[in-house]
Amino acid sequence: MKSFFRMSYPYLLWIALFIVAPMIMILLYALTRSGNGLLTFQFTLENFTKFFNDATFMRVLFTSLRIALLTTVFCILIGYPAALFMASLPERKQTTMVLLLTLPMWINMLLKTYAWRGILMNFDLESEARVFIGMVYDFLPYMIIQIHTAIAKMDRDLLTAAYDLGANRWKTFLKVTLPLSVPGIISGITLVFLPAVSSFVIPKLLGGGDYVLIGNLIEIYFLNAGDWNFGSAISLIMALIIIASMWATKKLDRNAQEG
Amino acid sequence: MKRFWAVLAMLCMLAASAGALAADYDPVAEFGSDVLNVYNWGEYIDKQVLTDFEKEYKVRVNYSLFSSNEEMYTKLLSGASYDVLVPSDYMIERLIKENKLQPLDREVVNNLDNLAEGVRNLDYDPDNTYSVPYLWQTVGIVYDTTKIDPAEMEEQGWSAFLNPEYSGHVYMYDSERDAFMVALKALGYSANTDDPDELQAAFEWLREMDKAVHPSYVTDEVIDAMANGEKWMALVYSGDAAYILSENEDMGYLAPKEGTNISIDAMVIPANATNPKLANVFIRYILEYDASLRISEEVGYASANAQVLEELSGEDGAYAGNDAYVPRAGYDLDEHYIDIPESLRSQYSSMWIKVKLHE
Repeated sequence: MKSFFRMSYPYLLWIALFIVAPMIMILLYALTRSGNGLLTFQFTLENFTKFFNDATFMRVLFTSLRIALLTTVFCILIGYPAALFMASLPERKQTTMVLLLTLPMWINMLLKTYAWRGILMNFDLESEARVFIGMVYDFLPYMIIQIHTAIAKMDRDLLTAAYDLGANRWKTFLKVTLPLSVPGIISGITLVFLPAVSSFVIPKLLGGGDYVLIGNLIEIYFLNAGDWNFGSAISLIMALIIIASMWATKKLDRNAQEG
Repeated sequence: MKRFWAVLAMLCMLAASAGALAADYDPVAEFGSDVLNVYNWGEYIDKQVLTDFEKEYKVRVNYSLFSSNEEMYTKLLSGASYDVLVPSDYMIERLIKENKLQPLDREVVNNLDNLAEGVRNLDYDPDNTYSVPYLWQTVGIVYDTTKIDPAEMEEQGWSAFLNPEYSGHVYMYDSERDAFMVALKALGYSANTDDPDELQAAFEWLREMDKAVHPSYVTDEVIDAMANGEKWMALVYSGDAAYILSENEDMGYLAPKEGTNISIDAMVIPANATNPKLANVFIRYILEYDASLRISEEVGYASANAQVLEELSGEDGAYAGNDAYVPRAGYDLDEHYIDIPESLRSQYSSMWIKVKLHE
């Protein structure tokens, strides 16, 4: 057992160097103000009060959450029937379908987004509609695959048993298939909501200059303004949102498994 | 892989032996290394110039690109080493202040007489101790002369951005500094002000612009869009305007009467350069007529070389009759940007986000 633990050392080192250390640096930047030396810095909360006291920033935060939520809901609405259909196919066809579904993921996301930009700019759409289409397109496969896996590994005899006991197809779906696929939906939500809320390339390319999400805000303060302190504070706020939503989905998952 | 490099080296040697230099010339002995790392803006050179330089001096040029001064600066801070950088004026001012540049070797860079009138004696480096101008430009308005009368446009200047008649037909460049420059100049202030009242007035001016003309906030896509005549007017850099005007003859260019920003991108050698000797040779090479001509003709930005500037805008030049090619020089109200402190830049960003989000 001990020797196995040793095998995790490279991983622990990796985490310490590339996850923990940068997080600490972000935290330090977020809690200080610019112009401080390495040894003379003074802690302050003003970066956070600046964010939460400004209606514009709060609206950007709200817009980010709204579009991520909307994307997730639509991915479920489109993805669930698709996954259900895929699971109903013979096994070999299912493999082909999964392959077809993952095929677009082989193409760089930037290229796909540029292609969408070429298409969507021909239509007179609101910037939010363009971003929404781009996000649903990009994240949908993750949702379908998660739900499909959950449904496919379900024991078919359960369905036969439900029919035997007199349940019709609709009732079987509601009482058997749906509850058993909830873990798939939940991991789908994790895989869609989290990248959607922090997405910054899609809003930048499809939304245009007057569509700003929280990811873009971070970019603006780091690159255009050179204000690493405020940029770090926003990054930290976003990290907290992500941790909170992970915690919420985990809780949802546990409840679903118990219920 | 080893074999590949060997073959490549052999090919290079073969190609180089055909070059004009003496047979016993060895770039490594001459410069200490035969590699030059150049860091420049995207779409800002004729690649042939680099190939020619490589052939002539039997060296290899590593050419990398940045898309903003700030990006370049961040990269430099992170410890990356380059031999030649091409930042803009205000960034050079900052780099000099922070001792991040090394003086040029004027024995090698001995062709400063080639410089055009508009790029001599610049405030940030008056006697070219650290920098040699590369290309330069003004910020101005490209407009469709079939939609807006040139006389009317000239009369309005920057206030055209407040004219509700143009609502829905305007592109605004999505850059804090340039947008605020427009507002500050329109109000008669300096583009480099740090006076809170003047900044607030500029902020209000930009909000009014957002309400009056509902501009689309764009970056480089404005170039193709205006070449296609998609909107009536746009804020653009004169170098891009020169391209737009050469693609679409209905388009005109105006450097407004209230004054504008003149900016200069210049070649510098960072203090941590690994091959400064070759860097000096490269800078001299670029300022020569041949390289300058190729670059300016390809890119459309005004050359720092006086002869090239004259020739390209002259009767048989590639930019003959193109109002945008030669920047307005010596106009009192035009200004260079100076390096502004981070707190002010952050304030610009916060205000600009509010303008763009219509708040």
